[in-house]
Amino acid sequence: MLDAFSRAVVTADTKTATIGGGELDALKSFVSEGNKRLDAVNAIASNASCIVSDAVSGMICENTGLIQAGGNCYPTRRMAACLRDGEIILRYVTYALLAGDASVLDDRCLNGLKETYAALGVPTGSSARAVNIMKASSIAHLKGTNSPEAGGQRYNKNEAAQGDCSALASEAAGYFDRVVSALS
Amino acid sequence: MKSVVTSAIASADAAGRFPGAADLQAVQGGLQRAAARLEAAEKLNAGIDQVAQEAYDAAFKKYPYLTNEGEAGGNQGKKDKCLRDIKHYLRLINYCLVVGGTGPLDEWGIAGAREVYRSLNLPTAPYVTAMQFTRDRACAPRDMSPQALTEFRSLLDYVINSLS
Repeated sequence: MLDAFSRAVVTADTKTATIGGGELDALKSFVSEGNKRLDAVNAIASNASCIVSDAVSGMICENTGLIQAGGNCYPTRRMAACLRDGEIILRYVTYALLAGDASVLDDRCLNGLKETYAALGVPTGSSARAVNIMKASSIAHLKGTNSPEAGGQRYNKNEAAQGDCSALASEAAGYFDRVVSALS
Repeated sequence: MKSVVTSAIASADAAGRFPGAADLQAVQGGLQRAAARLEAAEKLNAGIDQVAQEAYDAAFKKYPYLTNEGEAGGNQGKKDKCLRDIKHYLRLINYCLVVGGTGPLDEWGIAGAREVYRSLNLPTAPYVTAMQFTRDRACAPRDMSPQALTEFRSLLDYVINSLS
């Protein structure tokens, strides 16, 4: 498993070069923006079960065949497995966001996931849709753009200090996209 | 590679939980210390050629017999390799300063070093002298801030201990 710092080291070692200049500046901004990153991870982790259940429900609403007899979310035992997988994927995305590097997501979650799902007969199109819904709501929590109108009773205000989180949001979106492309 | 961030993630993953308050606190503590480490890495990167050359000169000054025929510094090629190795250790220290752990030194510098030096019949004492000279030569605030210097020196000591 690598983080932003060890990634820089591994890259520099292939060139037998010391780390300085631009790479070091990038790491310095990682450090100075560190609290923002921790708030972002916290925003997703604190709302994890809401994000996951919304994503799975949304996936089923768009394709109700999933919960009819013969569907992949029928009976509840299989839907529970689906919720569990959604939570696992979201968890590894938060790890990647915390580390600032996708290696933990790749090594521990995505490696072989597509093959496992193929063997178990899990429809990857539906899985990818659920991941995309998780992406949308995670980014909304991260950027604080979730609104009482959209959230309804489950609206949860993000009390962290406000600031520009667009870079972190696009980084997090990249990790979700990585999951989708690994599945399809 | 082990660092504060990867350790926090590994322990959260072992328990199967999302990164919680304790994990985030641990990461934040690591990031607070990172500023000094990165400063040391930057200064070392900027002056690595000169630092390595001075360390090399100190080693050969203390052990002049090394340049005798048949010794470890007996010809120019061997001397160049000695300087290269000193710079190699300093580069790994630069990496360790960036990562915030001794992983790069352990994995790429120390593991197997004893066996290699033994099989090539190389003395480790000159390397120790070179690192000691670097440690004592570095000075705050001329070279870097006191906190950065502490981080740098502790890694030099780590190398010295591994070689002695």
